[in-house]
Amino acid sequence: MDTIIFIAIFATFLAMSRRQRWLALGLFFVCLIAVLMLFYHHATSQLPLNF
Amino acid sequence: MRHRLGYWIAHINVLAICAVLLSAFAVQFLGRELPCPLCILQRMAMLLCALGPAYILLRSRAGSVEARDFATGYGLSVVAAVAGSIIAARQVLLHIVPPDPGFGEPVLGLHLYTWSLIIFGAVLAVSGLNLIFIREMVPQDFGSTRTTTLVLALLALVVLANALAVFFEEGLHWTLPDNPTHYQLFDDLASHQ
Repeated sequence: MDTIIFIAIFATFLAMSRRQRWLALGLFFVCLIAVLMLFYHHATSQLPLNF
Repeated sequence: MRHRLGYWIAHINVLAICAVLLSAFAVQFLGRELPCPLCILQRMAMLLCALGPAYILLRSRAGSVEARDFATGYGLSVVAAVAGSIIAARQVLLHIVPPDPGFGEPVLGLHLYTWSLIIFGAVLAVSGLNLIFIREMVPQDFGSTRTTTLVLALLALVVLANALAVFFEEGLHWTLPDNPTHYQLFDDLASHQ
């Protein structure tokens, strides 16, 4: 999942360089939502911390 | 010169974020510290922050940057920095209660996730200032396009290097383990042989 998000960030960069404004903005928000969903997954998983 | 200030500040913003991410690579590969899932999420948010000024630079290469493009670029940075701050704050709070020693070795007295929270705050402040002074900052005259190309190429390389590094760390799994200790791809490849 993490690799896919980094590739999506690269795709956003490419869309920006091709001056496709709405595609670039759309991909940017797809990346952002994916980051927040992955954060939600990690934030709600139980951490086996020992200290 | 005044009409180039916003143009050069956008370069500095992209370079500063690339420098932070390259420092994180130094800690990962020279310090042999594998980034945790939240560290990787903060790297993603930082790259999304860098896409804001990169958007302005990419527009400048086409010959014109309007106030709308400038506002879009720094607006993207603000949104990404807010998301990054939430992730960094979560990690700071995870390790704030003593006697938790924190995750990883501190750098200049602070852990990387604390630095990350400070950097997201700086991105918010810089983006806000650029938006406040948008009339003065919108570039109307551009410098060397070669410099711009080099800066943008560095950003592209940093994105791809992160994709590769996390692919090795994550292997053929959907998510990273909470406390990664090795590059899982090697294990996955060995188990398939």
